[in-house]
Formats: sequence, C-alpha cells, structure tokens
Amino acid sequence: MGKDLIQKSLKDSLFTGIIALALFGPIVGLRTVAKNEVLVVEPKWFVVLLIVAFCAVGRFFINIYTYKKEKRRGESSSLGKAISNFLDEKGAQIAIAAIAFSIIFPFMPFADRYWMDIAIMMMTYIMLGWGLNIVIGLAGLLDLGYVAFYAVGAYSYALFAIHFGWSFWICLPIAGLFAGMFGILLGFPVLRLRGDYLAIVTLAFGEMIRILLLNWYELTKGPDGLTGIPRPSFFGLPFKRYPDEGVETFHTFFGLEYDPMQRIIFLYYLILILALITNAFTIKIRRLPVGRAWEALREDEIACKSLGVNPRNTKLTAFAVGAMFGGFAGSFFATRQAFISPESFTFIESAIIVAIVVLGGMGSQTGVVLSTIFLIGLIEVFRDFESYRMVAFGGAMVLIMVFRPRGILAKRKPTITMGKHG
Amino acid sequence: MSNTLLDVQNLTMKFGGLIAIDDLTFSAKKDHITSIIGPNGAGKTTVFNCLTGFYKATAGSMYLNKENNKMDLKKFSDFKVAQKAGVARTFQNIRLFPQMSVLENMMVAQHNKLMVASGFSILGLINSKSYLQKEKEAMEISKYWLDIIGLTNRADDNAGDLPYGDQRKLEIVRAMCIEPHLLCLDEPAAGLNAKESADLNKLLKFIKNDKKTGILLIEHDMSVVMGISDHVVVLNYGKKIFEGTAKETKNSPEVIEAYLGTED
Repeated sequence: MGKDLIQKSLKDSLFTGIIALALFGPIVGLRTVAKNEVLVVEPKWFVVLLIVAFCAVGRFFINIYTYKKEKRRGESSSLGKAISNFLDEKGAQIAIAAIAFSIIFPFMPFADRYWMDIAIMMMTYIMLGWGLNIVIGLAGLLDLGYVAFYAVGAYSYALFAIHFGWSFWICLPIAGLFAGMFGILLGFPVLRLRGDYLAIVTLAFGEMIRILLLNWYELTKGPDGLTGIPRPSFFGLPFKRYPDEGVETFHTFFGLEYDPMQRIIFLYYLILILALITNAFTIKIRRLPVGRAWEALREDEIACKSLGVNPRNTKLTAFAVGAMFGGFAGSFFATRQAFISPESFTFIESAIIVAIVVLGGMGSQTGVVLSTIFLIGLIEVFRDFESYRMVAFGGAMVLIMVFRPRGILAKRKPTITMGKHG
Repeated sequence: MSNTLLDVQNLTMKFGGLIAIDDLTFSAKKDHITSIIGPNGAGKTTVFNCLTGFYKATAGSMYLNKENNKMDLKKFSDFKVAQKAGVARTFQNIRLFPQMSVLENMMVAQHNKLMVASGFSILGLINSKSYLQKEKEAMEISKYWLDIIGLTNRADDNAGDLPYGDQRKLEIVRAMCIEPHLLCLDEPAAGLNAKESADLNKLLKFIKNDKKTGILLIEHDMSVVMGISDHVVVLNYGKKIFEGTAKETKNSPEVIEAYLGTED
C-alpha cells in the first residue's frame, strides 16, 4: 500500500497543481496596469507559482492523511474527537465561563468600538444560528430562506416603531409574531416537500420577500430603505448627548459623562439577553414533547405518522418558532442600524446562517457558537483583503468538512435519560 | 359478532390499472392473532397501508370495533388512524428513530398524550408540576415495556446502535406505547434467528393475552405463523384464496398451490 499510496498521491497532487494553474493563472497571474495611459498586462508568475505549489503540496498531504484513515472513514479526526469529548465533559463549566466572559466583555480593556461592533455582530449571528437550529438542526427542514424572517422582523419592527412610535419592548414581540406568522405562511406550501425540493422553495421564498420589500415602495420605501428607526432607550431613558426639552437621558439619570459607548454597551447586552433567551428556550423545548417530535420527524416522518404524531402541526411549529427568533433578531438589527434596506437581506446572509448551523454540527447549540466565532471571526480578520474574504470563508468550510465531516460538535445528547439502572 | 375487532369488507385497492387488492373480505377478533400470509407481491403490505391510512382504499369498507363503538377507518387519514382509532403498526424495514435514544423512541410514541399534558408546550415551558408528573408516568410506561423486552439497561443508547433483533422488538413495544386496540405487524420475524423468533412469539402472546390487544400479522416465517396464529388469511394476487386456522391452512391444497405451484 505504502509505495502505491505515495505514487497515487503524487499523481493526484500533480493533477491538482494543473487545475490550480488553470484557475489561478488568469485570475491572479495576469494583472492589467495603467502605464502611460495605456493598459498593460503585467504577469505575476511568482505568486501563481506559490499558490499552485501550495495547492499541490496541500493536496498531497490531505491525500496521505485521509488514505491513512480509510478504514474509519466517516469518523472524525482524533484531534477533533478530543476537542469534542472535552467539550462534552466540561460542557456546563465551559458554557458558564463563556457566558461570564460575554457579560464582562464590554469592560475588558481591549473592548473598543471596533471589538464591540464585532461582538454585537457575532452575537446576532449566534442568535440567528440558534433560531435556525430549531428548523434545520432539530426538525431537519433545510431552510435556505431564513433571512426572510430576519427581514420581516426588521421591517415590522421599523414600521411599527416609525409609524406608531411604540417602544422597543412593545415592537419586539410584535415583530416576532409577524415573523412567526410568515413562518407558518411558508410552512403550509412546503409541508409535503423534503430535502432538495424544500431547500429550493425556501430559497425562493427568501428571494420573494426581498423583492417584495424592494418593490412595495409605498410601505417599505423600496431600495431607499427605511430611515429614522428609533434607537432603543434604557427603560425610557434615551442615549443622547443633547436630549429634547424636558427628557432625562441615560447619562444624566445615572450622573455619568456622556459617552457614545454607553449605547453600544447597552445594545450589546440587549442582543446578549435575546440570544440567551433563544438558547434557553431551545434547550428547554427540545426536552418537551414537541421538541422530541421535531427530532423524530427529522429521523423518520413515516414512523412518526404511524405513532399518531401530526407531521403538519409539528413542522409548522418548527417553522413558526424558528421564524419568530429570526424576527426578534431582525428587530434588534433594525434598532441597532436605525436604517434598513433590502440590501441587508440577501441570499448570502441565509447562506452564512445555514453554514453556521451545519458546520457547528446540526442541532448543537455550542457548535453554533464555535462556528460563528470561527466563520465570522475569519471574515473579520480578512477584512483588509477584501475580495479574498469569501475565499477564506470557503476555505474554512472546507477545513471543517475535512476534519469534522459531521460538524464541529456532532454528538447528540438524549433529551431524557433513564439513568444507570432506571 | 361482538368479539370482532376489525371488519374488512370488499376492500379493493387499484394503482392505475394494477389491482393490488381485489375485493378482500376478512375479519379479525379481539383476542386473536390474525395472520395474513401469501407469496411476495400478494398485496399483504398494501392491506396494511390501507388499514393504517397510508393509502386511500379504492373501494370497500374497514370498521374497527373500539369498545363497542364502531369506527370507520376510511374516515381517518395517515396519522389520525393511530391517534384517533388506535391502530398501531410496524414496518417491514424497521423504522425507528435511529439517532434518538431507546427511551426517546418510547416517549415520542406517547406524544399525543404528553402534548396535551404539556399544555401544548406552554405548561411544559414553565415546568408545571402536572406535566412533570405525566412525563414521569410516561417514563414508567416506557420502562415497563423495556423491562419486558430486556432493554432497560440500554435505554439511553441510540436506537440505531441496537442489534437487529432488539430493534425489531423495540419497534413493537414502541407501537404498544400508543395503547392501540389493533397492532399491525409487518414481518416482525424477518431476519431473526431461532431464539429471537421464539422470544418474539412470547412477546406477541403476551400482548394478545395480557394486554388484550388484537394483532394483525404479516409473516413469511411459517414457524411464527403456525406457532401463534389463531386465524390465517391467505392472499395471492390480491385475492383471498383461503381463510382458516393455522392447521387448516397448512393442509389446504389452494395454499400449497399458491406457494409451491402445481404440476402441469
């Protein structure tokens, strides 16, 4: 096997190198530069050579690595396993530590505006991931249009807040309710669909909502977006340097100096609380009959029917509950940005959220957190490289799928246990 | 005829031009194990699919006597047959929830009861005492059945990790968790060894005698059929060709012909 393997791998890596050359040669190697007002092609063959060498060598090692483990294909690597076992054993402590860290995070010395913004963004994705985890991870319904509910939540929040002037805490449940209703609306036509077909229809649904928002100008202002969405206030105390006449603000009430960071920190805690509520809710409902029915439906719909489980209601509740949390996250997004437009709710958002759930390990709450940190963090780190960000994103996905084919945390814990001897 | 549990009259099922079941009439008694046998493709599983609402029968009637209350099975579509009429079934190719634990499989089978107890999740979310009590009861029921098939110590393992024979038994007791009046078993002995087959016979007799649940059985394994059936219905090409006790069936020339063919 040994010699044969190396020979095969070499052949394969040579092939990879050729493909890489064909791809990167034109993309990276040829660059047009304006010289004396004339466009000149400037080749950069050295960079291409580096990339091609990297691909070929990488392919070679991946080959050797995976062939070596052929007998236990499908299982994940030992390193991944060790991490997963560690997380399993110390799960509770790690969760507490992580929550504690996220609570003190805004007061860390390095937590400036930039880090806070990233933290808020990550927390939003974590919340969306947890919401979508109900639909994909538990109920096994591949929903590629989740961003639609995020959009419905954001727009209903914005419209209610702008037109009726209601406060955040009133608009939030309304937005969630609206999103949940849209979840049921989507749920009905797709009840009979599974797998690929379901994915296609949900994808179309996501686009429909976006196009609707784009074209219903009277209501949504179309591509101009909605501006002037009220910022959240701290139980009625606004975060403003120069408040309106007779209105007490957050900093005067607490006798603090005005600092724009106060609002950011408040937003951070807001999304932290919303996300933790989502998490607590999911953990709890998973152990209730409806949660078990979701998972049973993912496992075998026909068996569910034979046991008298109503698949229609079960699916609809999964869609509705998942959508509701998407709606909550959407209202947060609207109030944070104070401006929303259909631009923010494109398919790529859905794709990122699905990637977070799938790469985290379907149904795993901790997995969602880890993959969010990994994926969003990576996108952020590569911010300076602009167009290469998505390459890094794709590369991260490939890495996870190579080392952990069933997601970062694939192990599922039973929702109810008999204990050692009943 | 108060003892009749299931009464099937002139049941016909057509798929386009193909007649899968042709004018089938039979009945099953409350304290009986009624077997449906026949060569491959005789329409046995189709009968089950009609009874349990997976197919809509083209013609004929199916009535279930539930505590002297006659229920028309044709009125119920798929899951409602199990939920409302109390007809449970197992499948030819085992359909457990493989990634869920044995105990969870048993709990899902008690879904409807628990769903009501959890106030459609609202009482459950606030940890209401009455729900926790009901959940405990459901666990007791699960444990009771798992004790019977000897799987209590594997209750927390994934159902998909069990040996084949145990999966078969688990599927049967899981179906019993919905407290059915009629239990339809589709080839429960397929792929079992002699000992497992004997265990299965014991389990089915227990369900019949102690749980007073009527059993409708599709089976190829003649040792199971002959050992426990009170009544046998033989199908061939969708038609009933014989009906009688196990002994009568064994000696019936029509049945032998259907299985072994005739001399030309």
